[in-house]
Order: sequence, then C-alpha cells, then structure tokens
Amino acid sequence: MKIAFELNGTPVEVETDPANMALSVLRGECGITSVRGTCGIGLCGTCTMIVDGKTTASCLMPVGALAGRRVETVDVLNEDDPVIDAFIEANAVQCGFCIPAMVLTVRKLLEDNPKPTDDEIDMALAGNICRCGCYAKIRDAVHLAAAKGNPA
Amino acid sequence: MKDPRITGRQKYVIDAAVEGMLHGRILRSVYPSARITSIDTSMVPEDVVVLTPQDVAGLHHYGCQIADQTVLPQDQVRFVGDPVLAVAAESVAAAEEALLMIDVEYEELPGVFDAVSATAPDAPLVHDRHKISENDAAYFGIRPVDGTNICHRFRLIQGDIEAGFAGADVIVEETFTTAGAAHVSMEPHAALASWDDGRLKMVTGNQTPFNLRGDLATIFGMKPEDIQVICPPMGGSFGAKTFVRIEGIAAALARKADRPVRIILDRAEEFQTLNRHPSTIRVKIGARSDGALLAKEVHCLADTGAYADCGPGVAQKMGFASPGPYRIPHVRVESNSVYTNLPPNGAYRGYGQMQSIWASERTMDLLAGKLGIDPLELRLKNLLREGDAYCTGEVMHDVAFEECLRDAAAAIGYEPGQPGLGVSVLMKGMQTPSFASIRVRAKPGGRYHIDCATVEMGQGSRKALATMAADLLGCAVGDIDIPAPDTDVSPPDTRTTSSRSTHMMGRALEVAVANLKDSDTGEGFGEIRENGGLDPDTGQGIASSHWHQGAAGARVSVDEETGAVTVEHVHAAVYAGRVVVRKQAELQNEGSMIMGYGTAMFESLDILDGAIGNPNLSDYNVPSIADLPKLTHSLIEREGGDVHGLGETALPPVPAAIGNALQSLGLTLRDLPMTPERVLAAVDEATDRTEDAA
Repeated sequence: MKIAFELNGTPVEVETDPANMALSVLRGECGITSVRGTCGIGLCGTCTMIVDGKTTASCLMPVGALAGRRVETVDVLNEDDPVIDAFIEANAVQCGFCIPAMVLTVRKLLEDNPKPTDDEIDMALAGNICRCGCYAKIRDAVHLAAAKGNPA
Repeated sequence: MKDPRITGRQKYVIDAAVEGMLHGRILRSVYPSARITSIDTSMVPEDVVVLTPQDVAGLHHYGCQIADQTVLPQDQVRFVGDPVLAVAAESVAAAEEALLMIDVEYEELPGVFDAVSATAPDAPLVHDRHKISENDAAYFGIRPVDGTNICHRFRLIQGDIEAGFAGADVIVEETFTTAGAAHVSMEPHAALASWDDGRLKMVTGNQTPFNLRGDLATIFGMKPEDIQVICPPMGGSFGAKTFVRIEGIAAALARKADRPVRIILDRAEEFQTLNRHPSTIRVKIGARSDGALLAKEVHCLADTGAYADCGPGVAQKMGFASPGPYRIPHVRVESNSVYTNLPPNGAYRGYGQMQSIWASERTMDLLAGKLGIDPLELRLKNLLREGDAYCTGEVMHDVAFEECLRDAAAAIGYEPGQPGLGVSVLMKGMQTPSFASIRVRAKPGGRYHIDCATVEMGQGSRKALATMAADLLGCAVGDIDIPAPDTDVSPPDTRTTSSRSTHMMGRALEVAVANLKDSDTGEGFGEIRENGGLDPDTGQGIASSHWHQGAAGARVSVDEETGAVTVEHVHAAVYAGRVVVRKQAELQNEGSMIMGYGTAMFESLDILDGAIGNPNLSDYNVPSIADLPKLTHSLIEREGGDVHGLGETALPPVPAAIGNALQSLGLTLRDLPMTPERVLAAVDEATDRTEDAA
C-alpha cells in the first residue's frame, strides 16, 4: 500500500508493505543511506531517525506507523550546522558509521537542552554505540556545538 | 564538501549496488558438529538461486594459514553457524523466505568446546588432517601436530629452564583464562561479487585485499590477476574483516546465478563469523630474592574455533611476546593453536597480546607479592633497555618501556604500598617479515594521485599518509587523492593489520616521493621490505622489526559485599616515536583503551550448548559513553624516534593494570572478564587465606 509522510521537509509517498521496517524503506525506496542497520533490535542507535521531534530506532518501527508524520534524518541538517562543524573541529570520528546518528541525536539534545553537562550528554548518547571509541571527542564536540549555539 | 563521515554522505560496502544485483543469504548449521545427511531444496521458488555443497564440490580448499575450508562444508559441519548453503533472490526478504523452505537433515557428531578438552588425549578431532596453506599469510613455519586438534605449535627456547628454576629463591605458578570476544564493528561484513567474461570483481570490506585475492584464486583455480578486489572504507573492523569471510560464498553464488550478488550479514551472523581467541595460559616464573628474574615458562592454549584462519599466527604472537619486556636468562614457551567446534577465531585488535599480557603481567604482581618487592620496582629492575637482547636473540632498539611504565604510574599517582593501584607493561610484535609498496603520480594543477593498498577502516591511515605526503611534497593535504585499494591498480602490500601501515607504508611513501623528485616521468615508486621471522621450533630470530611498546596504570575500589569494581582512573602510555596526526593518534589510544575496558570488565562470549549464547547487542554488551571511567593517555615521542604503529597498543595492558590494582587490594583475579561474581569469589579466597593465616 501507499504510505505518505514528510521526510526531511519534503512530502513523500512510498509503495510498500506497511509491516516493512522504516530502516529498510528509508535506505531502499527513499535512498537515505545515512541511517544504517547494526544491531537490528533498537539498541545501538545507528539507525536513529527523528519522528515528530522524537529520536526513534528505524529498525524497530514499521513504516506504516510513519504515515502522516514528520521524519528527519541527518540529511535534514544544513552542512553548516554547528553540530557538524563541532564534530569536525573535535575530530570526533573514526570509521563514521555511527556518527550521522550521533550528530542527529546531539542536534535534538541541544534543542531540548542548549548547555548540557557531561552527565546529561552521556544520558542522551548512551543509546548510540561507537565501537571505534570516539566518546571523549564526541563529548568535546557536544560542548563545542553548545558554545556555537543553534543554527540561525 | 564537509567530511562525509560526519554529514552521512560516506558510502560503505553495504551501500554498494549494481544493476541486476541479487541479494544473498546463508543457511547455517544449528549443530556444532554433525554430518549433513540430506538437503531438500525442492520447495524453493524457481527464481531463487540455491548454492549447495554439491555446487562447490569441485572448488579448492582454502585458508590463509591452514587450507581447512571449502566454500561450503562438504558433508560435515563444524560449528553452530557454519554455512550449509546459500541462496540469492531479488530481495533480502525473498532470500530469507527461501531459506525457510529448505530442509536439511543432520546426524550429530561429538564436539569439543574449549581448548583444554580439545587437547585431551581422547578428544574428537575437528579436522582429520592439517594441510598448510600456500597463501602468503602462511609465511612462518607452521607446525601442526598430526592426529590432534593442534594446528600450530610454536616453541621458544632460551637457556636451560630447569637450571633457571633450580637457581630461583621464589617461584610462582598460576593459570589464567580470557573469554572470547566479538569485534562488533558497526558495519557488518558485506561483499558484492560480479563476474564478467571469466573475471571476478569483488567489492568488499576487507583489511587484506591481496591475501583475499590469493585465496579466491586458490578456490576458483584462477590466476590472481583475473580477480579484482576493491576495498571501500569500512564501518570498523578491528581484525574481523580479514582474509576470506563471506567473499567465497558471494563469488560462487554470483557465478551460479550469472548475476551480481551482494551479501550483508546480520548481527547474529557477525557473532558466528570471526571472534577473538579465548585462551588458557599457564605461567611459571622464578626469581632470586633480590627480584632478578631467572626463568619463565609459558604454556598457551589459544582456541581458534572450527577453522584455523590466522589462529596459528595469533598463537605464535601470543607465544613470542609472552615472556614480556624483561631480561630473563632462561625461557621456555609453548603456544598452541587449537581447533574446537566454535565459530572461527582470528585477528582481533591486540592479536593475542591481550591474552598473554593478562597472564604474564598478573604473574609479575603475584611474584612481587611473594618477594615482598613493590610491583613497579620489580618491573623496573628487570625491564629490557636499549641494546638488550630479547629471548629470541634479537637486539632491542628504540626502546621505551621504562618511559611508558613510569608515565603510566605517575599518571595514576602510583605510590608503593598504596592499595587500589596497579600497572602493567607490554611489548607487541609487528607483522615480520613485512612488505609495502606505493606509487605517487604528479597531476596537473599541483595535485598528486597516490595508489596504495592500505585500507581505511576508521583508523585514519589514509589521512596519515596524505598528511605525510603533503609534508614531503610541499602541498596541501587536500591536493592529495588516495582512492580506495583496488588490486588491479594498487601496488602490493602485505596487509592493513598489526598497526603496520603508518610505519611501513609511510616509509615506502618517503622512498616514492624521493623517486618522483629524481625522475622526469612524473611518477615515483617506493617499497619497503622488512626481513626477519622466527625459527618455529626454537623461537630464535627476529620476531618483530619494530616493537609496539606501552603500559597502563589503573586506580580501583571494590564493594566487597556486591563484587562491584569501580574503576576510578585508567591511564595508558604508548610509545609513538613520532606522532603524524595528533588527534587521530589520540583516537587510536582512546578507542583501544575503551575496548580494553570492555574486555576487562564485561565483554564475554558465553558458550551455551556448543553455541554462542549471547549473539546480540542486548546480551553481549559493549561500552557506551555512559559506561566509561576516567580515561587518560600519553603519546610518548622522542627526538629522532621512528614512527611507531599505535592502532592497538593501548588495549592489551588495560585489563592487566585493572587486575593488578585489584591484586593490591588482596584480590587475585585469574579470569577475564572481571565480573562481580569473580570478584566476589576473589574476596572469599582472600578471606579464606586470612582465616588460614590466623
């Protein structure tokens, strides 16, 4: 059946089985490869999308549940977003597989809490695994981004 | 364009796709040891391609060190997860559906599930014979023990071990174990195979493009030049994506389907594809009452699982570094790579060193306790220094063990006799012999194009090479292009492992740039070859052309009621010689320490009924940002020092430093990870000891 939702500010309509997971539809029909599957059980954070302002694991949400909702991935951000610049400045990246979801989660965190403490950063990112272990520099990046403020 | 790894534009192998591509899935054994008695695929829809063991019966055995694998097992499966057959369909869902329509009957056989049982005299044999591979990766004398599960036995002998122990005032003998661990690279294994006019093209996440090409050539009876291996950047690997993993199945499926086939593993399959060797290591060490080490005997059993992969190499490195960075006149080491009916174990960040350092450095603290000498002082008294000979006979150069150890101790505020503090020191060998080559071409507009087979998996080698090249060529880093390795184009390289790329390829680059400047062709070529290697029966020779050196210190406290350990601070000191790109070098230390912390405290593959019992990220925990203690580190540089590899050095010493910090509280931990249950058992043991003494 046809599922219509808003993806990164643009209305989209996909023809798919509503039981298919949002992750496979975003990556397949929608061509969004910045969301990536890793654990398949909603624990690693690599497939994070934002649905109506809430961070959500796309590997666990059937695409049918997205009908009529607002979906965002890292691709919604302007390349000059302070969070992206902060990750670059802090060199908070190795392989990069988990980083777009981290960036998205940090963007959301800073909207809710513009000056998070280390503990608040850890709580917000505890569900985003980085096996390369960039955590210290990711924390630096969040503080840097907080100092830069929200995008104009 | 901003860094694509951060903006999400970076493409990985999971994103590779070509027109007409099918999706492959693998049917895996549910028994750890069984004979396949029948396979019924009659219910599978006609448009699904099925690859059965019969289809690959004519293909050749392969294996990077022991030729013990076939593309699909013939008759017999050897672990839960051993591929039985594979299918390719228009969608992943269709392929998965087809798997459900296949019926496989098995007859169960006895199995072995740990290296100790597997080396018992009556143990069932996982393989009947051990044929040594012709792959370049079988470069050291591999010594299988016929009629046993031992596929390689490495020995190192120096001096007269009996005489050494006879002269010792104090002897300590203990057995240690380490658990299996999963790499958990965030990107799973993925490969895209296609055939064109008898030529195979393989796009895959793999650290060993040339070894992979060699093994694929063996499998299909082709010339290596007829196989093109392309390795895009990987979403992590840590040793998991080495040699042939799923590439043989992808290629055979694509050949049968006559269409390109892509396989992407799911997380459960990752746990069945390659893991880290569990180990059982016995250490006996003897010293004079003044603390001078006299004799050390080490016996290692490294569980390599159902197929050897590079297990012989892991056992060898586990063995030759196990004496540790100390002057010891009498040494005897035996290290065995042992088959079991578990998923294969192979390269894993640290490559056997974490296991041997755990055993050896824990023993040093037990010895210190028995001698009544401070553990740091005991180490400093015996450390190898510039110009000393190691027990392999090689003379040590650019030595920095003492600096690393003193730095780690100072960072955690080490004071002799103060409880809750521990240190450890390590030496880790680099792939030897070793070869790297690289080509630099001048392009219009002051740009340069570099071809080399160094693979990018997040470690930043290519950035380091571009930075070095820019420095040598007097241009900006942005003026350098280094496309992904492609065996049709890239000059040969041993492989991207053992923290060797910046050290080896970096020096090859210096030669290539000098060659470019001398030539009028606009092209420069450079190669570096390090010779060496050990006599496999005596362990004498050159183990490592350059040694990775490091140390760690830890500060801990323990809740003796619950067994919960609070790690308050861990510091790692790594000898860098010369740092090339500082923030990336820092990331290597930070990432290694975090992995070392997981290994120390909770990461463990649990074996349940002959299978990995926790093959998911809910039951197998890896460190998150919220799990971490205070972690600090140093990159130690020296005027005129070599560029040292540092991709792994900070991992192996971390568990031993934490274990030694617990030892300073009277708690003797012998097994990794140091779970609360094990800590409680150590508390009980300490209580019993105190009561016995009273």
